[in-house]
Amino acid sequence: MKFPFAMLRDFVETRLGPAEVGDLLTMAGFELEGIDQVEGDTVLDIKVTPNRGDGLSVFGLSREVLAKDAEARPTDLYERACRRFPMPDDGDEGETGAFATVTIQTEDCPRYACRMFRNVPQGDSPEWIQRRLRQAGMRPISLLVDLTNYVMLELGQPLHAFDLDTLAGPEIVVRRARAGEKLTTLDGTEHELAPGQMMICDAEKPVAVAGVMGGLDTEVTPATMNVLLESANFRNTTVRRTRKQLGLNTEASYRFERSVDPEGVVAALNRFAELLETVDGGSSRVYGVIDRYPGRLERHPIRLTVGRTCRLLGLDVTLDQCRNYLARLGMDVTEADGDLLVVPPSWRPDIVREDDLIEEVGRVHGYERIPEVLPQGSTPQGGVSGVYARIDLLKDALLRAGCTQVVSHSLVGTSPLDDPSAERIGPKNPVSADAAWLRSSVLPCLADAARRNGAKDLWLFEEGRTFAMGAGGPVECRRVGIYAQGALLPEHWRKGDPGRADFFAVKGILEELLSFLGLQGEWSAGSDPRLHPTRQASLLLGGKPAGILGAIHPDVARDAGLPEDCVLAELDVDLIAQTPAEPPRFRAVSRNPAVRRDVAILIDKGVPYAEVERAVAEAAGEVLERQWLFDVFEGQGIPEGKHSLAIALQLRKLGGNFTDEEANQVRDRVVAALESLGATLR
Amino acid sequence: MEAVAAASSTQELRELEIRFLGKQGVLTGLLRTIGQLPAEEKPRFGQQVNAAKARVQAAIDERERELKRLENAARFERERIDPTMPGRRWRVGRRHVLQATADRIKAVLGGLGFEYLESPELELFRYNFEALNYPPDHPAMDEQDTFYIDDRYLLRTQCTAIQGRVFERRKPPLRVFTVGRTYRNENVDRTHGHTFHQVDCFMVDEGVSMAHLKGTLGQFARSMFGSDVRVRFRPDFFPFVEPGVDYAISCPFCGGSGCAVCKGSGWIELGGAGLVHPNILEAYGIDTDRYSGFAFGLGVERIPMMSYGIDDLRHFLENDLRFLEQFPS
Repeated sequence: MKFPFAMLRDFVETRLGPAEVGDLLTMAGFELEGIDQVEGDTVLDIKVTPNRGDGLSVFGLSREVLAKDAEARPTDLYERACRRFPMPDDGDEGETGAFATVTIQTEDCPRYACRMFRNVPQGDSPEWIQRRLRQAGMRPISLLVDLTNYVMLELGQPLHAFDLDTLAGPEIVVRRARAGEKLTTLDGTEHELAPGQMMICDAEKPVAVAGVMGGLDTEVTPATMNVLLESANFRNTTVRRTRKQLGLNTEASYRFERSVDPEGVVAALNRFAELLETVDGGSSRVYGVIDRYPGRLERHPIRLTVGRTCRLLGLDVTLDQCRNYLARLGMDVTEADGDLLVVPPSWRPDIVREDDLIEEVGRVHGYERIPEVLPQGSTPQGGVSGVYARIDLLKDALLRAGCTQVVSHSLVGTSPLDDPSAERIGPKNPVSADAAWLRSSVLPCLADAARRNGAKDLWLFEEGRTFAMGAGGPVECRRVGIYAQGALLPEHWRKGDPGRADFFAVKGILEELLSFLGLQGEWSAGSDPRLHPTRQASLLLGGKPAGILGAIHPDVARDAGLPEDCVLAELDVDLIAQTPAEPPRFRAVSRNPAVRRDVAILIDKGVPYAEVERAVAEAAGEVLERQWLFDVFEGQGIPEGKHSLAIALQLRKLGGNFTDEEANQVRDRVVAALESLGATLR
Repeated sequence: MEAVAAASSTQELRELEIRFLGKQGVLTGLLRTIGQLPAEEKPRFGQQVNAAKARVQAAIDERERELKRLENAARFERERIDPTMPGRRWRVGRRHVLQATADRIKAVLGGLGFEYLESPELELFRYNFEALNYPPDHPAMDEQDTFYIDDRYLLRTQCTAIQGRVFERRKPPLRVFTVGRTYRNENVDRTHGHTFHQVDCFMVDEGVSMAHLKGTLGQFARSMFGSDVRVRFRPDFFPFVEPGVDYAISCPFCGGSGCAVCKGSGWIELGGAGLVHPNILEAYGIDTDRYSGFAFGLGVERIPMMSYGIDDLRHFLENDLRFLEQFPS
């Protein structure tokens, strides 16, 4: 809401300058958004929150200044605005009533009033009105239109002037549009009206969208002689729905959506008449007011207890202070049994219960007086625990493994790395094509991050939510993905190959991750179409699919603009975090030395190593402290379809040393078990 | 003795030691001849030989120390490195700057006794608006341009949407916070994005007041931004709080005297706050005569933007390592 400071001075006498008034309004909840010099005056731009439609006028903001600034005094204009600009003909319809009838056929128009003017002057409004309108960001048009806008700026009540001679018949009807009706609004747009939209109609047809915009055919023009001036009150929700459907947004609808004081309807008609007279010296003829007010609201008193006020604000205020603050805001306050009974004014529909009044007391008293106190009482479990702590651990595991975290948009375009098993979902109203979908996988995001950084020598991970259509509607889950490509360590002047990203390097990271979380996973060959068909695995946790790992499929790599030797993995974070850790059990630590035995075998490549490992463990029994694969060889000297595996066994007893003979016996048992898998000793 | 002084290596010295002092050595041999001497000469001879042995031993030890020193010096010279050459950088994972910020917030609010919880980004209209006391068809919703997925689901526009979900399952006293992602249908520029992150923190207990809100925010702000920071409240409107405020902290960069970060005002607005609206508490069956609560929210991106002088919101989700590696992990 923009207005020149001079307009505020019309209503309030204050020693404060524009910037100080801006600060004061800011601390009252009306934030100063801008302060500018325009055509010789300071213009304040005040942000009015959507609950305070009464702040969308200079008069309304003046009320706040008077409530907050104890030294400010109301002017005569302010006093007359409070008395609603009384005119001698108030309550008398006069010839306006003889000309027109007003019928309200909807509950969404609590009040409709109009006044007739004949023989109005043509031409422009006086320079001072034009200037003030320009300062407020409005375009001067003609005397009649400018006066309606000026009164709206002053009082917050939108007015509409009809050219009386273009209206069909002596009738104004406020009703819902009928199917098939049309109206061209004064911006030149023709609208097909839908039932439910609220219209102002003459005897035949709609002539204005109620509370939004007038019709083109009935608007005042330079040739207008006679005017029917409308001042009405419309239900905020209906105005909002109608103007959204019609795609319109005006100063009037902006105010009605935020609620306009129904008691100010006639005051605005009177102020218009008063201003018109100062311009034309009384040459136009002014007729009485028709006022239909079926929706008068009875406001009930709200009880304010000082105890609750002090308790919620966390400071001490007295009954007298409460009464004083609320009265300054125009509330009707009486004392009853040590409490206050408060009737809020007609312009404050936002005040409906005691806590609303408590805010008003706090606002006028000043929030700067609230002390800082730390909460007391019982403290429930604080901090990060349960599933959330497990998710943090999972991320820690990846950080420790040397992966750098990225965080990407969840609104994405289309990628060859989208989850092929997901039915993707997206907003109905996307902001752009590259943000039209919700990601079904974090892999496309990791691909973007990789490409942005050259795609080479990168070890990245991302944890976040992914989305898809589920059986019963859209669903969301947490996933973590890894992108790995290139050297494990940066190039260095000391030579020595630190290794490169491959399937097993990333599998090692995931194995560490599972062990870090106390979980035991099972790996088997995978079948994700995004991955290399024979170089991928799927991870099972408690028999449930928990993730995928593999080299990228070369075709996908090409389509996604990624190197062929990158490795991808994606895990189901919800499942991992919710799977309880195996509780560790203490095992006695032997003080006896370990012995090592190596076993080298030839075995069919088709036998999974997991089976070999299991056979070794079962055959060796409890004395097997650790086993590891230390060589794999195929090619020269090895029969087609087989490979050679070299496995180290570390054996140790609790409370006794191994003799050579005992160790050899264990090795022989292992060899026998492997032979039963089809292996031969090398 | 001259031979000892001339020895040029510890090896040579070892040989001299064996020659003179060893079991078959010259001096040891002399001592063995003592049996052939007259009895009255025996003590003197023994003393002289032992004294000679001691002198030789001392000379050898002295020479050995000297040689060891020289040999070490030569070895160390051979093994000299240039310590200014670059170290072997290990591959160390770095947290994203938003994660690092969220983790700090979690530590501070967790330390103040608030429990960390999360709720969906894909949220029901009900929790994002209705449960938060937004009247139907109210312009307050215009301030949050919303991405709708279907008739029921939207992308949450505010992390406050967690409140209804918590009130549904828990009874007071409760102290809860979340850090998460929110979405608004806005065009992207330096200071606006359609995706950003928020903190939402709230408590409900007996006698919770605006003073407790200010105290908690003060403690939070001082932990995050420095021990001198003060909190200021300004009335503001959010449908889910009453009274509602907008809170600012005294600028931690200039101490409140005005600088570029606070645009000369001395204050930096951080977010919205207030007492949980009694309509919300009552909707979840919480007795508002007995209980009251506070809630506050703030943007996550704002903290590193302010702390590190980042001037473009778009950097955060673009993942350029040249950006991410500028900040402590």
